[in-house]
Amino acid sequence: MIKEQNEPWQSGMAKSITFIVTKDCQLACKYCYLVGKNSKERMPWEVAKQAIDYILDHEDEFREESVVWDFIGGEPFLEIDLIDRICDYLKQEMFRRNHHWFNSYRFSFSTNGINYDSEKVQNFIKKNINHLSIGITIDGTQRKHDLNRIWKTKEMEQGIQPKPEEEKGSYKDVVRNIPLWLEQFPNAGTKVTISSADIPYVKESVLHLYSLGIHEVNINVVFEDVWKEGDDKLFEEQLMQLADAIIDGGYYQDYACSFFSEHIGKPLDAKLDNQNWCGAGKMLSIDATGNFYPCTRFAGYSLRSKKPIIIGNIRDGIDQNKLRPFLTLDRTTQSPKECIDCEVASGCAWCQGENYDAAETPTIYQRATAICKMHKARVRANNYYWNKLFRKLELEGEREEYEKSKKKSNEVIC
Amino acid sequence: MLQYLIILLDEASTPFCSLTPCPSDPPTPFRGRKEGGLIPLETLRQGIRFGMMENLMIQYVYPDKELPKEYLEVIESIDHSKIRSLPLTPPKEGGTEVDVWVTESIKDIKADVPVVWRTDKQSLFNSEADIIKALENVPRLNIVLTDIETFIEEDFEKYKSLLEKLSKAIEQMYVDGKAPQLNLLTDRMMLSKMNNCGAGDTSITLAPNGKFYVCPAFYYEDETDCVGDLEHGLDIKNKQLYKLEYAPICRHCDAWQCKRCVWLNRKTTLEVNTPSHEQCVVAHLERNASRELLNNIRKHGSFLPEQEEIKEIDYLDPFDKRDTWQ
Ligand code: SF4
Ligand code: SF4
Repeated sequence: MIKEQNEPWQSGMAKSITFIVTKDCQLACKYCYLVGKNSKERMPWEVAKQAIDYILDHEDEFREESVVWDFIGGEPFLEIDLIDRICDYLKQEMFRRNHHWFNSYRFSFSTNGINYDSEKVQNFIKKNINHLSIGITIDGTQRKHDLNRIWKTKEMEQGIQPKPEEEKGSYKDVVRNIPLWLEQFPNAGTKVTISSADIPYVKESVLHLYSLGIHEVNINVVFEDVWKEGDDKLFEEQLMQLADAIIDGGYYQDYACSFFSEHIGKPLDAKLDNQNWCGAGKMLSIDATGNFYPCTRFAGYSLRSKKPIIIGNIRDGIDQNKLRPFLTLDRTTQSPKECIDCEVASGCAWCQGENYDAAETPTIYQRATAICKMHKARVRANNYYWNKLFRKLELEGEREEYEKSKKKSNEVIC
Repeated sequence: MLQYLIILLDEASTPFCSLTPCPSDPPTPFRGRKEGGLIPLETLRQGIRFGMMENLMIQYVYPDKELPKEYLEVIESIDHSKIRSLPLTPPKEGGTEVDVWVTESIKDIKADVPVVWRTDKQSLFNSEADIIKALENVPRLNIVLTDIETFIEEDFEKYKSLLEKLSKAIEQMYVDGKAPQLNLLTDRMMLSKMNNCGAGDTSITLAPNGKFYVCPAFYYEDETDCVGDLEHGLDIKNKQLYKLEYAPICRHCDAWQCKRCVWLNRKTTLEVNTPSHEQCVVAHLERNASRELLNNIRKHGSFLPEQEEIKEIDYLDPFDKRDTWQ
């Protein structure tokens, strides 16, 4: 059987509600937008409780069949006591109110994995195991991981950057928890984000993650305008090598990598394929002060150059007018002509928050196309991958078997 | 395509649109937010030259004071229309030369050119009789609501009922052989496509500081929010967003008389191309009342035979129908 990506749980019908529980973290990853801002803001219990009460009180405004209660940071597990209390309260209240989300909910975490094995985190996991998704971030090989994901020092909190030789990578502290994680979540996937400096490590990183026993690697390039001259060529080469390695090594049978998908690189119909890509507005994020955002990317701390888009707060509720642009946004209205006419448009993603941040006016209706050349490079390597794989399957008489058993792939972009 | 250049002749030019110049300090009639200076004569000249070169029709917005003689000459150097405040004592018929009067009081108005009445909902709801009287005394009345964003369910009800009453009165006037014009009710009957305010798309505003703005409201709200200046020309970023095709809700709508105020859009939804719920419901109450009016007038005989019927619809906010768009 050929492994394609697992479909995220009830992905289409679920409301995603994110608590930004803390901005603190043990690490100071070089690409993190929190680094340097030195904020330790934590969500007080009262804010979390009021947010939950508001959301559950307004069942008619949240009609999605199910819900993903998502916890992010900083490092969310630094606030495990708060999280445990929130989750207990959620379960209790969904039950007491006979809410339609009771029995149709999930708690979801993205963690750096460092205190994954701590007693408190483990107790929490055991208590909620049937309703949990946890993703641990590892960037790839030790070399690659330790390049960016370094420990925070006291000096850094005062704004003093360590010398390169003093930097302490976090690879070992994370990797030691991988076996336990995979034992508890055998289908777990990891998310890798590629920026310009990471391109040379793409192939070795994916293969390394496979070798750690992670079967699903969701990987994408950042949407920001960071790409240098020649990055697309380098990226294409890496992906071609990765394609060879996956196919020649037979990994495609049990492992998935989101770079390769049968559905990308085709033209899109202006009318029939006109949906927005990103889910901002259909999600809800809550920060420590109790403000609501259409997605975490619109909170002040993740924006470079624009004002936050606050769509309400736990006291006054959601301002439905502020959601209207998000809920009526479509692909063609925000795309330049080049994208509408593009021959390889499918799978070319965007992030509403980055679009807003990069736009010339404060609008979510101007699509940023910094990833254009990277998408085109990916499409070329992707075409190569499928041509090579299908030929191999045909020669081995397995093509039909593949077509029968293949699952719909699902791209996770942010 | 750009067609109109609105020139504010003074920093205290008459607000004629939905803008309430200063929310914390309600405007006294006929005064804009800024006290102060006339547009410099040279700026005015350059503005006119710009308008001529771009083939734009010029609309001057006047302050409530006499302009010096040298201004009058420059103003008259190009074909234009004039927008000014209706003086407290009604002008004599055929009096001061003006194309649109703006007023903040509907009582006893009389004029031989169109009148814009800027009002909040409270005085609107209390002015049924005055409006009907005004319709007899002006060729056209444009009612501009300055607080649409504050409408709640109860206000929608009051608005609906006011429109019904005005519609009855207008019907009777038609039966009596008159043809009153009230933007809220008679425009939609006559239109066959969208007829919105057009700021940023068909019109642009020149302020006394020599900079261009999407409309006067953008200038009064934040002077830094300009879209070019006389020296460097127009530079409207994301210009497409002022066009109907780039407005996902409005392009599915047939409340063609709606102003589709981009300034109010931005204020309420943060996007110039997305209207608030309140804006849409108000415009649909007008649309539906126009439908009734058209049907009722037609009961008395042939009326606008070439105009299509206004369809019955089951929504007041097109946003609620978004699942049916393709
Ligand atoms: S950004 Fe580039 S690759 Fe993506 S759709 Fe637009 S033109 Fe095509
Ligand atoms: S009623 Fe609403 S959708 Fe229709 S034109 Fe007016 S603002 Fe746009």
